[in-house]
Amino acid sequence: MQIKVKCGCGEGKCEEWAIVELQGVVEAQPSFQDRLHNLQIGLLCRPSSQETCTFTVGYHELTGTKVPLKKPMLVLKKVKKEVLDEEVKEATEDKEEDIGIANSRAELEVIGIIRHKILFKTRPKALISSGPQPVAKGKSQ
Amino acid sequence: MEVEQQNQNNREGGAQVVLCLQPSSSISIAYHPSFGPHDDLMLLEVDEKLLSDILDQKVTLRGQPNEDAVLCTPSKTYVVKFVGTSNSVLLIPPSDQFAYDCDEKDSGEMEVASVIKVAPGCMELVEVAPRLDKLKFLLSENLYSFYEASQMDVSEGVEKCDVGLYRWEDLVHRIQASDMELRSGLEALFAVEINGYWRILDEDYKDGILNMLLHNSVLNDWSFDALGEDEVVAVLVADGFPGQIARHCLQIYGSKADEGIGGSCIWRLDERRVCVHFAKRILRGGKMRLENFMEEWMKKAPEGMRATFDMLEGEVLSEKIGIETWIYAFSISTLPSTPTERFSILFKERTKWEWKDLDPFVRDLEVPGLSSEGLLLKYTRRTQPTMDAEPIFTAR
Repeated sequence: MQIKVKCGCGEGKCEEWAIVELQGVVEAQPSFQDRLHNLQIGLLCRPSSQETCTFTVGYHELTGTKVPLKKPMLVLKKVKKEVLDEEVKEATEDKEEDIGIANSRAELEVIGIIRHKILFKTRPKALISSGPQPVAKGKSQ
Repeated sequence: MEVEQQNQNNREGGAQVVLCLQPSSSISIAYHPSFGPHDDLMLLEVDEKLLSDILDQKVTLRGQPNEDAVLCTPSKTYVVKFVGTSNSVLLIPPSDQFAYDCDEKDSGEMEVASVIKVAPGCMELVEVAPRLDKLKFLLSENLYSFYEASQMDVSEGVEKCDVGLYRWEDLVHRIQASDMELRSGLEALFAVEINGYWRILDEDYKDGILNMLLHNSVLNDWSFDALGEDEVVAVLVADGFPGQIARHCLQIYGSKADEGIGGSCIWRLDERRVCVHFAKRILRGGKMRLENFMEEWMKKAPEGMRATFDMLEGEVLSEKIGIETWIYAFSISTLPSTPTERFSILFKERTKWEWKDLDPFVRDLEVPGLSSEGLLLKYTRRTQPTMDAEPIFTAR
């Protein structure tokens, strides 16, 4: 079978996605486990003009930097193309090999590109005060 | 004022804000309203130089469900490997992708970047040699023969049996190679497109048409170095061969010497290919004493061509039985192209190899990133009893 890799953005103007990468696993408190949607994970803060960032999760603070990826990463999305009923019938009538052909209607679409990630590679530092530290207000622009 | 306030609550900033976070500012990282495993989203790490091919939509994934997927650009083949990570890779789309309804709750006048999924790893590409062995296997299922050639004239309109026949489109779905590599693979097999299907001619048929060509060369006093395509094809067609196949015969046994002015190309017969053809015909019966073989080969080789033993490099093996040397057909074209399988068959054929015997059968092996010495080190054990003795290669 053959799966085409499509790109709707064209002319190399793929929208950039971001990665926040940290060691270990982020776990929500048990009471939130099944209500993750919209739940805040933490606060990403850039305290100065340097590329250093902090990421405050609960009572822990991580320190990291924005790093360019050695090689770009593409975000691909599997797309099942709609196949007309007749085509499916036609394809499945001729035994095994044609399963591949029927599946070949699937496509991969490039929906984004990643060139940078905010990498937190150190262990978290415990914050002594309770609650997140005061941070600058969200910018409106 | 209040409305504005509302709008500012929990504003989705997306990847843009994370990437361009201004000094002395912050953004809330949250789970996206549609956060989930999203198995349909994958990350693919690519070389900068591959990027334009992918964005220009010139790239496809090829393979059957039971094969590892490969990614093919117009000219190269890459194996796709999944590399997992134990880090948490939080994936944040730009704000305008994935519909975002933000009326559930708010966390103040804060910009938010939402994580759509935690990526378990990414796919990486490793350049590999095209997987063309299957091509020969598929095209050998149904060889083009005298029988079929004769049927073609008669059975006009009769439904043809197309078992084991493959169009270009069918091959692309089944062979893990880029378009360019598939084309050269077909050329190397001397396959020809007949009625839309890629075919290999069967040995008897090739023998028949080659003999007819040689016969006509003598009759018409043609030179093997300057065969006019139009003339040759016209004569072979008169002898009952389809024009397309007559033309293909020139490709199998010759090479273009001259484009020719005003249309007709000039072809030169390839002495080696013609002679090897006859050697293979002779050895079809099995092992022969070298002297007997050479005698018969000289007889069969067309007048004006000189058959020499070194032409048979990569086509035969010889062995000493007492004081006699016997030879038998052992063609590189029947061997698999992946090193592991190739060496396994070579060492099954013979446990010990001298370099001069082994070389013709491994010379063409190419593994991206591995030299020919590296290849030998990896797959063979080299022994050399004394400094001036020939090194011997055995299986590892």
